[in-house]
Amino acid sequence: MKLLNCPLNGPRNIAEFTYGGELRPMPDPAATDAQQWAEHLFFPDNGAGIVTEWWCHTATAYWFLAQRNTLTDEVIRTFPPSEVFKQGRKLAGKDGGEKS
Amino acid sequence: MQASPSATGASPTAFQRRSQLYRRHLDLDAAFADYEGVLAVAAYADPRVERALAERLGLADLSTWPRSGCAGPNAPQWLADAGRQPPNRPNKAVAQEDGGLIARLSEQEFLILQGLEADPGLFAALQGNWPSDAAESVHPLPHADSHCWLALSGALASEALAKLCAVDLSSRSFGLCDVAQTSLARVNAIILRQDLGATPCFHILSDASSAEYLWDALVDAMREFGGAPVGLEALRTLKLRDRPSESFSPTERHPRIQPRKAP
Repeated sequence: MKLLNCPLNGPRNIAEFTYGGELRPMPDPAATDAQQWAEHLFFPDNGAGIVTEWWCHTATAYWFLAQRNTLTDEVIRTFPPSEVFKQGRKLAGKDGGEKS
Repeated sequence: MQASPSATGASPTAFQRRSQLYRRHLDLDAAFADYEGVLAVAAYADPRVERALAERLGLADLSTWPRSGCAGPNAPQWLADAGRQPPNRPNKAVAQEDGGLIARLSEQEFLILQGLEADPGLFAALQGNWPSDAAESVHPLPHADSHCWLALSGALASEALAKLCAVDLSSRSFGLCDVAQTSLARVNAIILRQDLGATPCFHILSDASSAEYLWDALVDAMREFGGAPVGLEALRTLKLRDRPSESFSPTERHPRIQPRKAP
């Protein structure tokens, strides 16, 4: 069985993981129409080469990122999302303002 | 202070809180005991046989034993302020002064297990002190109703687990107070090693809804090694006495669970 190295738990059987799709920047909700949302959600880039993907270790519900070569199926490295997302995403509050 | 069992022979249906596995225990004619409000299986068979089983390969159900947890950015500091010793990195545990165990499941999540020999009532003190102010950045994660809690003890425990788990849980790679969060018999489980005296012991916490399945899978995996269910008293005896008992006799197998015969 293939092994994948979880940044939190170490090497585990690939059966313990769930694929979460490509890492892509989310469009600005305030400036995105339905067509652009649909393309963001349902049309992956599906590029050939090294891509960054979301994976989840199911036993711990831990989401992390992996760089994988889609031509050779080689996982180059896995790393915690904190390397990319330095701060939590701010969501719009009920009063129209923003909150963490 | 050790909680002593009372009302041995108590019926699980007389308690509001009982293990998801109590029907399995009734089928095995278990002797239940009331540990100051916590109902647990004290023993299934003769104590001497059970102790020998627990040293070789025994499975105990601790699902009613107190446990809790907490999470949040401030959880490590909150635990330290409460007089506990949190582990300093994920997937490690630290034995506490009261015999309990605190495991770090991630940077901000902790699991707290009550010691087997401790007074269950002492745990209520911690439970009653959870911060109610969200600004403290720590919140409770009870684990009591979401997980079942099994303890697999004995010199052959890691060999039995090897049949069900891909992670190497042998002593050479999985030491004291190590934690593995992985798949066990295809269900998610938290596995912690806390030896009872000189006897290896693995605490297993898994989804309560699949408790009967996991119990059956473990009992089945144990059969080829002569293992069988044991009561809480056998584990407590091992915990309190480091001196190994006389060697296990193959004829002293559990009276109601026999090794599977080869086809």
